[in-house]
Amino acid sequence: MNSNTTRRDFLSTASTATLGALAAGSPVTSAEAKVNLDSLQSTADTVIVLWMAGGMASTDTFDPKRYVPYEKGLDPKRVLSTFPAIDTAVDGVKFTEGLEKIGAVMDRGTLIKTYRAADLGHILHSRHQYHWHTAYEPPLTVAAPHIGSWISRSLGPLNPDLPAFIDIGQTFDSGEKESLKAFHTSGFLGSEFAPFFLVEPDQAVEAVKPPVGMSDTRFAKRYQAYKKMLANSPIQKHGSEYQRESLLKSIDNAHRLLSNAKARKAFDLSLEPKESYDTYKVGGRFGLGCLLARRLTEAGARFIEVTHGYYPFKYWDTHDNGHTRLKELKSMIDAPIAQLVLDLEARKLLDRTLIVVASEFSRDMMMEGKPEKRVKDQVNVPSKINELKHYGMHRHFTGAGSVLLFGGGMKKGFVYGETADERPCTTVKDPVTTEQLHASIYRAMGIPHDHHYNVEQRPFYVTPDGTAEPVMELFG
Amino acid sequence: MRRISIYLLGLLITVASSAKPEPRLLPAAAERSVDFTEDIKPILERSCVNCHANGKRKGGFSIDHLHSFVAGGDSGPAVIQGKSAESLLIKLVLSNDPEEVMPSKGKRLSLDEVALLRAWIDQGIKWEKGFTFAKFRNAPVAPRKVELPKGGETNPVDRLLAPYYSKNKITPSIAVSDHIFVRRVFLDTIGLLPSPEEVTAFRDDNRPDKHIRLVEELLQDKKNYAEHWITFWSDCFRNSYTRQYHGGGGKRITDWLKKSLEENKPYDQFVRELISPVGGSDGFIKGVAWRGTVNASQVVEMQAAQNVAQVFLGLNIKCASCHDSFINDWTLKQTYSFASIFSEGPMDVHRCNKPTGEKAEPAFLYPELGSIDAKAPRKERVKQLSEIITSPKNGRLARTVVNRLWAIFFGRGLVDPVDEMDNPTWNQDLLDWLANDFADHGYDLKRTMKILLTSRAYQRPSVRLNEDVEEYVFHGPVVRRLSAEQFLDGIDQVIVAAGKDVPRRHTGGQRAGMRNLDRLMRTLGRPKRDVVVTRRESTATTAQLIELSNGKPFADLMIKGGNAWEGSGYGADVIVRKLFANALGREPSENEANSAQSVLGKTVNAQAVADLLWMLAMHPEFQLIH
Repeated sequence: MNSNTTRRDFLSTASTATLGALAAGSPVTSAEAKVNLDSLQSTADTVIVLWMAGGMASTDTFDPKRYVPYEKGLDPKRVLSTFPAIDTAVDGVKFTEGLEKIGAVMDRGTLIKTYRAADLGHILHSRHQYHWHTAYEPPLTVAAPHIGSWISRSLGPLNPDLPAFIDIGQTFDSGEKESLKAFHTSGFLGSEFAPFFLVEPDQAVEAVKPPVGMSDTRFAKRYQAYKKMLANSPIQKHGSEYQRESLLKSIDNAHRLLSNAKARKAFDLSLEPKESYDTYKVGGRFGLGCLLARRLTEAGARFIEVTHGYYPFKYWDTHDNGHTRLKELKSMIDAPIAQLVLDLEARKLLDRTLIVVASEFSRDMMMEGKPEKRVKDQVNVPSKINELKHYGMHRHFTGAGSVLLFGGGMKKGFVYGETADERPCTTVKDPVTTEQLHASIYRAMGIPHDHHYNVEQRPFYVTPDGTAEPVMELFG
Repeated sequence: MRRISIYLLGLLITVASSAKPEPRLLPAAAERSVDFTEDIKPILERSCVNCHANGKRKGGFSIDHLHSFVAGGDSGPAVIQGKSAESLLIKLVLSNDPEEVMPSKGKRLSLDEVALLRAWIDQGIKWEKGFTFAKFRNAPVAPRKVELPKGGETNPVDRLLAPYYSKNKITPSIAVSDHIFVRRVFLDTIGLLPSPEEVTAFRDDNRPDKHIRLVEELLQDKKNYAEHWITFWSDCFRNSYTRQYHGGGGKRITDWLKKSLEENKPYDQFVRELISPVGGSDGFIKGVAWRGTVNASQVVEMQAAQNVAQVFLGLNIKCASCHDSFINDWTLKQTYSFASIFSEGPMDVHRCNKPTGEKAEPAFLYPELGSIDAKAPRKERVKQLSEIITSPKNGRLARTVVNRLWAIFFGRGLVDPVDEMDNPTWNQDLLDWLANDFADHGYDLKRTMKILLTSRAYQRPSVRLNEDVEEYVFHGPVVRRLSAEQFLDGIDQVIVAAGKDVPRRHTGGQRAGMRNLDRLMRTLGRPKRDVVVTRRESTATTAQLIELSNGKPFADLMIKGGNAWEGSGYGADVIVRKLFANALGREPSENEANSAQSVLGKTVNAQAVADLLWMLAMHPEFQLIH
């Protein structure tokens, strides 16, 4: 075997980022451990995270407790849920009113009632979100990768014509934008594994087309002319060189995506039948994001996250009017999430697609933090509720939160963990930490929980120190 | 590099193994309880450490630590706890196949030894607490005097490299053509492209010292020098121009930094002011804070210690901020003592975020350089530290920064990676001479830059790193990619060049390195500056090329350029020549001119020019520094 053939073999298999690391001695990692897919049987090929940014109150969504309807002069300490409980497709499992459609598909799902967010002191949404998305608590000496980047780095794209990590709905123009940017990154893994951002699902197709104002023909001609010019360039005589090869390979990859009719169809929501489109449309940006996630999953996406976006005091960040706002929020997620489950099932994709519905922490009317680790209150709760705007779960509760899982090898119609029936309705059995949740998602994808890459000569694991174990009871 | 050849070896082994001989019979595990130190360590010491310890990791396998031992190498885990018969290690030591038997050289393991290994694996792979096979290299801290060898070369770098060239059979005198040199040196000093006139003037200059004159002139361009180098130093100092996190800290040092660069502040003073802050320089040790409680290894005092060590000393104490390091000799206690210098009161030592009950006494990492008065107030201690670090006895300060400059100009350091200054260098005399000269001449960064940039070594044709060789050999500067800032400034220059009477070295607005981080720059690799970055990722990625091919900001720039050149009134042939000259610093070949002409067509229109501009912006000759 001569060194020329090996070079070519290596080039065809290694990503450009790996090449970059080798070529320039750059600070990005080199792979130390390859994922051995034979040793760990995966149960999913694709992950869809449906992100309820801002803190979704579990007692007003998937884990109903004592319902006390609104009335003037109400003692807030009496209220555990502001919605009555409803039945789901599974005996004994109740949701709150407004989640009937998701309730109807609960027989395909697993509900974790006992997600416990970390103790990070004075609550900051973006910091808990950072932790949820990386399994690491900031700040850190090394930029930690987003879970989507870990999966992208470890497994690569499912369909090579699609970006492996697609992030739908988050913008970076809110009050905590810099903190949000800190975890929407591939970190030390290198930008080859960074998220592909789509903000408005309706306009997603623009991201995989020539720039606005340029026709496909002109775009193709420009690239043809470019290649011709390079062929005529004296630089071609210089022989092979990594920097140049990675540049040309990246341009080629970009053009493959931007002129790929099939990939483009997946991004184009205008091709969706009207009835289906309208079902998802009720959820606004989030709902259409679910539709886009379904289309991308059909096309072979690897990791997708869908969110309304995190904006301080908006959406699930209910510092006031919690009840009223949750009524609307639930109406926005109920149909799209249920439809996503049914659509994937009808297309025989649900078994290999793991849907994760989650939020950085839960909320409670009284408690900030968790019983054993109370932190400074951020929301003023009157001793008597005399206005509707005070009726709702407004404080940040980290003791127990709901995570809903569908497909991807998880049990069907299953509930994991127990929460107390009285305030603070915290975890009483089988807590699940963020790190365990990560380990479980990685396990489903066939990635060992102690999988790592080296940075600065030390191993950096998918979960801190590689110690968190997956919760195997969740798996079917 | 090494990994590839091992990967190959792995392939060869797989191919060869199709007809492999039967292994020795598996002996039963020893029945007694085995002790790692007594029974196992001697076997590993004798048979494994030559290839799998002390930084060596043949087949990706290192036995330095328990965790690396268990993790195994390229062929998978070495041992499976409790299942010795199925463990790869046992299979390999019993093999009779010369391609796979371990150890690959020397005496084979006796069956008694294999029995012990089996028992050890079955009994739970117990390791001696804190034990490692690794012995780490510690580079001397003191400066080392180097006599400049005699020889015909005038530049000290070339004089010092002469014996190296003859030993490695490298022809000393080859140099790149003028237009490549001019482009290279412009980008390396002021981060801008040379104008066609500047390229021509250099080419037509027949004076023998024209390289020196150009380097001197560029280093005198204070404004552009500062606006280029502010990028590198802001990456090092986490100097984000926008708010960092929701929580405080991360004070900007932009004004202080720009002024320091403009006046070429002596590096020792520069470092002193960052450690013991004067007005406007306190952002570096102030650290980055998030609201809430943070891990003990990330309190601001610890951040200050980690970052001062990394940036100024090329020393990684991040591991030792949590526990005694696995990658060097630094201990948790030493790190806490160092961090305590930055602390108001005594710090509680935490191991892996749990308090040990000990208090740390403020002390510097290298006590031989000077001591800190532990009783003095914080301000005084920090001042003492700033003086100790910049004392002439600390050769490491100078070595670290001259090595950074070398790595920037030549694409790879004399020591590599640049933040691991305990690693061996490929030319100790060169490193030590440069460091001494720098310290002896007032820590003048521009002086060292001039020495490097006027060397013949710097004029050598660019090379790619040869990843197949075990040991790096210097052949010339490595091909590098433009930074986000260089790239965008260059594009601006090419657009502005469409106008008449354009001022020299003009980008038409604020230079990219002075602007806030935006999506385009972020995609092109400018870091967020939440962690120290001393070298950026330099290789193109698909995400970048998607952004450059369809992203609005860049598409808008191309349209702006198209309009500017359409409005210039030049004919198509002139535009082609001028675009090539401005973007690539050279004339197009006849074939290139023809293909470019065919893009523009007969009558010039903005859209076609925008397309040609894009083609040139994506050209490897534009994006890379050769």
